[in-house]
Amino acid sequence: MSDISEKPAGELWGREGFREDPYIAAATLDEAGDAPAVILPLAVWLGLEDDVRNATNRKIGVSVAPGESIDPLLPLLDTIPVIALQFPAFNDGRSYSKAEMLKSQHQFKGELRAVGDVLIDQVAYMLRTGFDTLKVTHAVTLTRLADHNLHDTPVYYQPGRGSHSAPGTYSWRRVPGA
Amino acid sequence: MYRYDEFDHAFVSARVEQFKDQVERRLAGELTEDQFRPLRLMNGVYLQLHAYMLRVAIPYGTLSSRQMRKLAHIARHYDRGYGHFTTRQNLQYNWPALKDMPKVLDELASVEMHALQTSGNCIRNVTADHFAGAAADEVADPRPYAEILRQWSSMHPEFSYLPRKFKIAVTGAERDRAAIQVHDIGLHLKKNDAGELGFAVYVGGGQGRTPMVAKKIRDFLPVEDLLSYTTAIMRVYNLNGRRDNKYKARIKILVHETGTEELTRQVEAEWQVLKETDLKLPQKDVDAIDSYFAPPSLPVRPEGWSGLAAARKADHSFSTWVDQNVTPHKNPDYGVVTISLKPIGGIPGDATDAQMDLVADIAEKFSQDEIRVSHEQNLVLPHVAIADLRIVYDLLLTDGLATANAGLITDIIACPGLDYCALANARSIPVAQRISERFGKPERQADIGELKIKISGCINACGHHHVGHIGILGVEKKGEELYQISLGGSGDEICTIGDITGRGFSSEEIVDAVETIVDRYLDIRTDKEENFLATYRRVGAAPFKDALYSEAANAA
Repeated sequence: MSDISEKPAGELWGREGFREDPYIAAATLDEAGDAPAVILPLAVWLGLEDDVRNATNRKIGVSVAPGESIDPLLPLLDTIPVIALQFPAFNDGRSYSKAEMLKSQHQFKGELRAVGDVLIDQVAYMLRTGFDTLKVTHAVTLTRLADHNLHDTPVYYQPGRGSHSAPGTYSWRRVPGA
Repeated sequence: MYRYDEFDHAFVSARVEQFKDQVERRLAGELTEDQFRPLRLMNGVYLQLHAYMLRVAIPYGTLSSRQMRKLAHIARHYDRGYGHFTTRQNLQYNWPALKDMPKVLDELASVEMHALQTSGNCIRNVTADHFAGAAADEVADPRPYAEILRQWSSMHPEFSYLPRKFKIAVTGAERDRAAIQVHDIGLHLKKNDAGELGFAVYVGGGQGRTPMVAKKIRDFLPVEDLLSYTTAIMRVYNLNGRRDNKYKARIKILVHETGTEELTRQVEAEWQVLKETDLKLPQKDVDAIDSYFAPPSLPVRPEGWSGLAAARKADHSFSTWVDQNVTPHKNPDYGVVTISLKPIGGIPGDATDAQMDLVADIAEKFSQDEIRVSHEQNLVLPHVAIADLRIVYDLLLTDGLATANAGLITDIIACPGLDYCALANARSIPVAQRISERFGKPERQADIGELKIKISGCINACGHHHVGHIGILGVEKKGEELYQISLGGSGDEICTIGDITGRGFSSEEIVDAVETIVDRYLDIRTDKEENFLATYRRVGAAPFKDALYSEAANAA
């Protein structure tokens, strides 16, 4: 996390704060030019030749829309540096389930990123379902994140990332913390 | 009853603080109404026709006297002196000011209540049999499982932005008083041959514009798998439920379009992955929650029986009330009392602050401090000694709460309708009031017998008209309110959706039309033992259509 800075234009946020986004989003590899890190739409990413996808001189991540299945990615998860799950509207919750499945069931080790209509009131949910980073554009959300005001609760009623069992209480309950 | 521990208190007070912040941001203009909308809805605050409305969650309809007094207090100080009990076993306040909402939520939190998830596309207040823990016919109390589901579904990170709202109901008796087959998930708690507890799982029931009876996807789910299996269903729905059309977004449409067999396969496949995770319920946790609902130790009161006979003989009205509003309890010295919120000509489900206080007092003295709200918009005293029935009746009588009509034709369910609701096309309450007045005479009601009338003011069916023995749906046609009738619906264990009779009736005609149906029923029933629904199931719609439309034609 050497890139942490106050609030760079990248507006990529993680639990440790804002950081510069090394990735650019592009519709095709050509459009990305010689950018060292790029995120491509799922269909385009799937169409890449294996040697291009696995090239060591650049990182190529994949972006998944809510209506797209993550199934084709599952055999290739080890090779993907970042998966960006989209939230085109705050009320489309499909990407939460995909995040949970990628992290819990399929042990995805790369960066899981939320992109789109990310509102402050959803940040805690995103972190708990397994997102590592959020690409934020909403002004109020940016301000609140800068103030470290995550709108989180002090306790949770479900297992999830960033929490652990609460001693002496029910199996489904959790408290924040690694 | 369940009591909050420190964990629950910390959770609810944090949520109140968050909502205070959100209300302040809204009042300061930092949030637009559009941005505020999903946030207020998460806290049970709706914008109605005339004002904001607050819907308070009453988990599985169970309340203590202290909680009921708080609801009365809020009605008195922040509303206009009354509240409205809903078909979701909740309470709605129709007139609180937005600026007061955080204070009201503070008041609720002080008695371990909240308004979370009474709205929005999340898992709503979990409902249960309103006679749970008391009814003589119960296999086991369903409320511990409703409580576990309530906790697990509270601010669930994966399932707070579902395609549409999601309703779960649990029952613990063969006789289904919780209408589980018209819920997104219906759970029937039962014992297998080995005597172990588990659930029959129903999915995809619902009303609204496309009413459907739920499909049973599993006959026996062990208790320990409750959360993993529910998670599997929710995940399949969250990923695959339709989001292109809000009228096709409920899980019933997914079940219908996918097919029950394929949907079951998907759920079972997802469950295989989840089954052995942290979601598996340890027996000690189930036992710990269960202990909150341990049956109260009820004193032996055999003297009630002899006294009751004399009291009944002396007072016909009291006797009628006992017949109609008292249901058998597990303990033969006790009864389950239904307090009708359907006075003749009144507004179904409304209670004043004074009535709520009175019910709280009675419950404290005579019902082990417990009150239930039924989805039929009545209140229930679950543990009343037979020996105390007379005094309880007399107390209820002092404030108009002793109407002897539970389950009869004037025990009508009605949604708020066009008098309050921004979605409604027609008024429901005045129709309910006029029907109630028409059939209000005790002898007449008693003669007609069990008959459930349910009225909705729009296609969303909050008044459950699809499962009314007589269902009435208000629609708007060319600027006028028109009422469609359906017959033969039922929300119990033999669940059916009512059949629409034909063209609708005007507001002036609708009560006569109901009377025509009732008169035809009285003519053709085999005897008094054959209630309306049984008669309808025997003869079908034809005799009733004939009566409705040929008479209307003759009159024209």
